[in-house]
Amino acid sequence: MRPIFLALVPAGAALTVLAWEVEMDSLHTADGRLFVQVAAAASFLGCGLLAWWRRPTNRLGPLMVATGFALLMRHLRYSHDALAFTLFFLFGELGFALVLHSSLAYPAGRTRDQAERWLVRAGYAIAFALPIAILMLHDVRDPLIQFGSLHRKSDILVSREAHAVELLQKSFAVAFYGVLAAIFVALVVRRVAASKPGLRPILAPLTVAAAAVGLWGAHECVLTFADGSRAETPLFWAQAVALLLLPTALLAGLLRARRARPSVGDLVVELERTPPQGLRDALSRGLGDPKLELGFWLPERRAFADFHGRPFTLPDSESDRAMTRLEHDGEPLAVLVHDPSLLDEPDVIEAAAAAARLALENARLGAELHAQLDKVKESRARIVAATDAERRRIERDIHDGAQQRLVALALELRSAQLRLAPANPEVEQVLAAAVDDLQAAVDELRELARGVHPAILTEEGLAAALESLVIRAPLPVTLEDAPEQRLATEVEAAAYFVACEGLANVAKHADANAATVSARIEGATLVVVVVDNGVGNARANGGSGLRGLADRVEAVGGRLSVDSPTTGGTRIEARIPCGS
Amino acid sequence: MSDDPHVRTTVLIVDDHAPFRAAARRMLEADGFEVVGEAGDAASGLRLARDLSPDLVLLDVVLPDLSGFEVADRLADEPPAVVLVSSRDRADFGRRLRDSPALGFVSKDRLSGRRLRALQARSR
Repeated sequence: MRPIFLALVPAGAALTVLAWEVEMDSLHTADGRLFVQVAAAASFLGCGLLAWWRRPTNRLGPLMVATGFALLMRHLRYSHDALAFTLFFLFGELGFALVLHSSLAYPAGRTRDQAERWLVRAGYAIAFALPIAILMLHDVRDPLIQFGSLHRKSDILVSREAHAVELLQKSFAVAFYGVLAAIFVALVVRRVAASKPGLRPILAPLTVAAAAVGLWGAHECVLTFADGSRAETPLFWAQAVALLLLPTALLAGLLRARRARPSVGDLVVELERTPPQGLRDALSRGLGDPKLELGFWLPERRAFADFHGRPFTLPDSESDRAMTRLEHDGEPLAVLVHDPSLLDEPDVIEAAAAAARLALENARLGAELHAQLDKVKESRARIVAATDAERRRIERDIHDGAQQRLVALALELRSAQLRLAPANPEVEQVLAAAVDDLQAAVDELRELARGVHPAILTEEGLAAALESLVIRAPLPVTLEDAPEQRLATEVEAAAYFVACEGLANVAKHADANAATVSARIEGATLVVVVVDNGVGNARANGGSGLRGLADRVEAVGGRLSVDSPTTGGTRIEARIPCGS
Repeated sequence: MSDDPHVRTTVLIVDDHAPFRAAARRMLEADGFEVVGEAGDAASGLRLARDLSPDLVLLDVVLPDLSGFEVADRLADEPPAVVLVSSRDRADFGRRLRDSPALGFVSKDRLSGRRLRALQARSR
């Protein structure tokens, strides 16, 4: 409960009692008329507070509370005290102006157009201006219309002008209760007539307001111009009952509209979590409009489309649907086609629009991000594929070029050795040494070529390449499992390098005396595991080459995990999608 | 194939690399072998193997038309003993080499009459 309510409730109650007391003091008898008037004012106060509490952002609540206070204050003008009379004669007419304002502010909490605003301003101006003029000319010895035999002293008397006071009082009645009331009724009729059928139930309280204001105005005119007329009593009761009903009607209308829709906050939170394909349904639920439609702007087509890309037709001027366009940075984003009654709750539709804009923008950014990420992944895969192709080419070049020449040279030297040896043992020795050196060079070149890219992997596949790898390993390695079928080149390459780099790490850092390698297919994933019994404590992000290996595996859409406790042993596992 | 040291072992060299064929021919002839033919691809290698009936076929693993393993498979039931050669080493061929009916494998840089004779002796 907000502090302001804690202050307003006792203030309202006190003012109600005071109004009752002042009236009783001047009338000396409790009557039904007084009761119903005070009850109407108190009802404005109570309903206004409820409306304010339940819908804090809507100005209708505060306006109704002010109306209740003003209506109660009107009774204080009958006080015997000159200051109280002067003060509340001046403020007493505010009640009617506030009834006009509250009613026109229903249900959105604000007036809708220039004509309504003009009427409200004119109401306040007349409610202040004419009573001031009247009191400046009113003398205690003269009667006042509506005060009967009660004589009241004005504290701001300037000059006694009884005739002018009567004229002013009558002019006030005509202008305020006649003309303004008539314009008000006309504006209500206009608003109801202009509304679409779907909107009308929500405007029902306005018809109560038109009845109350019209009857109140008529009653005031009768009191002013034809006091004692037989029409006065029924008119009084008619307007009193209408006024008594009005705050309840306004509150009920407001809460009905509110019940049908979640709070703005709920809507924003729900829409933030909603994927674009669920946005229409979420908005429809949130705004209480089952027929709500949502069109997305397609910049390339310069047109709206539904979520599935089908053309989206905007309602024409004959349609009974309303339309709210959502924009972002001046560019169209989407369009909402909804019940026109939502236009009377601009804060709700604005919040929905903002949330939808946020959700759409999120979706757009998400899609953009995914597209960019996909591009990066694709380019990484392409880079790895290109690198592999280049490695294969280099290996082939070494094999077909330098290696062949050295091999031929070794054979030539051996021929020479065979021919010259019997005659010259010294030459034979030199040649034998040369052949040995050449063989060492060929071995090194072969090792280099194999490191660049093992030909056996290309020619015979992963199982053969892993067999060859474990045979050449500098420690005892067991190959536990290897897939017999051929897999995609990049998958075989990544898997081979996991095993190769994994074993190289074992040899370099692990201080192990045994290791196992396995590669097996689990569903659509090739799982490559290298395990050693070494010292452990290897880190994927350390300088052990495991980071590069992880990059290599991730480039083909896989994941590398390293389990290497300080207590010893290392297990490297790569899971590579292989689509088989 | 003869045990008589005066009867030279006849050899057919099948390799797409002409400098290797020439070097191998010179080396083997210097070592007492008789190179009876050379072929640059599998098809002519197979034909010459049947026409010339050499004692040994030196067969490169990588040929332009068929692999040396396939050629060795086709010659499995015929007289010439096949020795596979390559500038790569044994570990680069793994199980295909193990499963091949060929008499043996020699890395090209380690090719010598002594090794060929050792393989021949082992097969007897």
